[in-house]
Amino acid sequence: MESLLHFARGPGFLFAFAFMVLGLLRHLFLMIWQIARTYIRAGDKSLPYSAIAISSLEWMFPIRKLRDQPVFSLTSIIFHLAVIIVPVFLLGHIELWQRGIGLAWPGISNSLADVLTVVAIVTGLALLLQRITARATRSLSRFQDYALPLLITIPFATGYLMMHPAINPFPYTLTFLTHLVSANLLFILVPLTKLSHMALLPGSQLVSELGWHWPRDAGSRVAASLGKEGAPV
Amino acid sequence: MTGKSKYSYYVEGTALEVEDRPRKFLQAFAAVLEHSSYSLPLEVYTRLGAKCSRCAAACQLYEATQDPQDIPCHRSERLLRIYRRYFTKTGTLAARFLGKGFTLTDEYLDEMADAFYRCTACRRCKLTCPMGIDHGLITHLARWLLAEIEIVPKALQVAVRAQLEGVGNTSAIPVPALIDTCEFLEEEFRDIYEVDVKFPIDVEGAEYVFFPAVSDFLMEADTLMGNAAVMQLTGGSWTIGTGNFDGINYGLFYSDRMMERIVRNVVSEVERLKAKKVLVGECGHATRSAWFIPTFCGKEAPEVVNCLQYAWQQIESGNLPLKEGVKIEERTTYHDPCNIARVGRITEEPREILKRICSDYVEMTPNRTENYCCGGGGGTVSIDEIRAFRTGPLGQRKAEQIRATGAKYVVSPCANCKKQLRELCEDNGLDDVEVVGVHDLLLRVVDLKRDVPEVENREAAEEAEQKLYVPASVGAAAKQDLKISDDEE
Ligand code: HEM
Ligand code: SF4
Ligand code: SF4
Ligand code: SF4
Repeated sequence: MESLLHFARGPGFLFAFAFMVLGLLRHLFLMIWQIARTYIRAGDKSLPYSAIAISSLEWMFPIRKLRDQPVFSLTSIIFHLAVIIVPVFLLGHIELWQRGIGLAWPGISNSLADVLTVVAIVTGLALLLQRITARATRSLSRFQDYALPLLITIPFATGYLMMHPAINPFPYTLTFLTHLVSANLLFILVPLTKLSHMALLPGSQLVSELGWHWPRDAGSRVAASLGKEGAPV
Repeated sequence: MTGKSKYSYYVEGTALEVEDRPRKFLQAFAAVLEHSSYSLPLEVYTRLGAKCSRCAAACQLYEATQDPQDIPCHRSERLLRIYRRYFTKTGTLAARFLGKGFTLTDEYLDEMADAFYRCTACRRCKLTCPMGIDHGLITHLARWLLAEIEIVPKALQVAVRAQLEGVGNTSAIPVPALIDTCEFLEEEFRDIYEVDVKFPIDVEGAEYVFFPAVSDFLMEADTLMGNAAVMQLTGGSWTIGTGNFDGINYGLFYSDRMMERIVRNVVSEVERLKAKKVLVGECGHATRSAWFIPTFCGKEAPEVVNCLQYAWQQIESGNLPLKEGVKIEERTTYHDPCNIARVGRITEEPREILKRICSDYVEMTPNRTENYCCGGGGGTVSIDEIRAFRTGPLGQRKAEQIRATGAKYVVSPCANCKKQLRELCEDNGLDDVEVVGVHDLLLRVVDLKRDVPEVENREAAEEAEQKLYVPASVGAAAKQDLKISDDEE
């Protein structure tokens, strides 16, 4: 158990975290490269930049979008706030980073972290519940759509238990191990699943616009490569 | 109409003889990915889909049917799945080593064929997708790929054939008939309004060449007369070209290959007439297709102006005389054609015009960029055999919107929308509603009797008018016809 723990917080974490960061960077790089290539080949290079910027920002900070499906939107926004703030600004985590790479940043108080952790768990489960109870989402959902919110609640739940040993019914090391393993697993899954939206979302509005900006002779080239030049309609 | 109905729409007989469809589909897919711009969105969409179903709530079709198959994300997944399996590394590797993934089959393609013609590509759902996924783009692409294995609604294919290989326009109107129609409309002006309003034909060096939906010549006399009145009263230098007078582009609905050819033909006509700009008539998809001119013809290509933009600009600058105290009294509402409104390019001009000329103008909600499609978009309006579907589940939402306004006139500057809206009203008991274009109403309120201001190149324009262009495809008899009409002038 001890050696497992040691692995999970040492090389295991390093690997998983690097996998996430490099994986997201790869997605981002590939997207930017393809955006550039599409733009360079496009016959029409004029783009509605401000409209694209506005819609991108509207979805990265979706305050205005609340009016569609307000319950779901609110759950999702609160979930995101909690899920992003707690792991990054937890004092315990910052301390680890400082020990590891010498970098530190201001954190949130442990009592706020407690509240946000519970919020993350509750909203994560609420997202899942809404997914299961609504017909449309149920028929769309894949395995990962159910599994990810569940998996995300695990490091939060175990983290909470570690901070409150008095109410923790499980042995400390087991809790700690579960915390580390689930978090590492999540890191690895980020670039492989829809969680990669962390890196790709800001570019998606531009991508959708560029999809309509074709090379000047795209049609005739396709005809040529299919041997359909001059073929009757 | 003859033709096989393996799908909800008719296809040509040859469609059913295509062998090896999955292989040919994938071949076409590969070629399109290589030569066009679709790999960028497909690559990003395959990773992004959150499956949150917000798009479902935005689509008028799913709202009506509640069938999971009609959820935009569900439909798009049909194509994304093929992309993932055959065109991404993970997909091909998983298939090779794990035996995972699916195999593209004939049945799968047949299901796609039905699914992608249930969507009008109106792009309303794009507005609500947090991930920015454009299902209109996916539908557009899927239809092109299907067309490469001959799955195209017969109605669309026949029209494009007439335009590219036949008479030269989608309604198969020969040039003499066009000229007759224009003369008839000029006569109408003389008989009804006692004014001389011209439909200038083949005027070289005009500023604008006019491209309406060609069906307007058959069905929308008032719209065209409104267009001509506005041009003449404002001293606009415009012409109809006998080489190409059809703004319709069904390539937009099923094939970028066709779209490119049709757009190029528009530009060549403008060049032939040594004109400067494309003036698009009241037609949503014709306008959107014309906006693709820079894509296919580069930056130097002629500028595109929609007749609503022109008319409003003229009214605003006081150039278009309106009759004192004459307004449209009946309640009037406006339906935004998705093709010009969804991206917010033309939403205010028609409203400003209508507010100026109607005393009881009301909005339907939602409107502008968030409007609901009429239910006839994406070319479906031309497919007569699916009328019950169009005016049923697909158009139900629009019918309710119209009913809620209590309007007498539903105005829409789009030939497609107008046909669909009329059928919609007919099939949904909205018998008192009249569907008209913006220029139909303008025609009633412009002051036709006011002196026409001078244009600088009027003389040159009139001189040029004498030299009628006769395309090679028009026979000797037709030339004779033209001569006669020319002499009569
Ligand atoms: C970096 C900034 C991030 C942005 C801008 C962002 C944005 C979004 C958006 C727009 C959605 C669509 C669903 C909706 O809210 O309607 C979404 C879904 C989701 N995000 Fe994020 N996200 C971010 C980071 C994260 C992080 C760090 C996680 C967790 C580790 C996460 C987990 C999720 C999950 C699980 C869903 C799906 C929710 C569901 O079940 O419907 N996101 N995100
Ligand atoms: S709204 Fe967008 S992300 Fe959500 S289900 Fe539809 S396509 Fe997928
Ligand atoms: S009909 Fe319009 S709203 Fe519905 S899926 Fe197609 S593009 Fe989206
Ligand atoms: S027919 Fe009109 S409303 Fe319908 S999709 Fe076209 S432009 Fe939109």
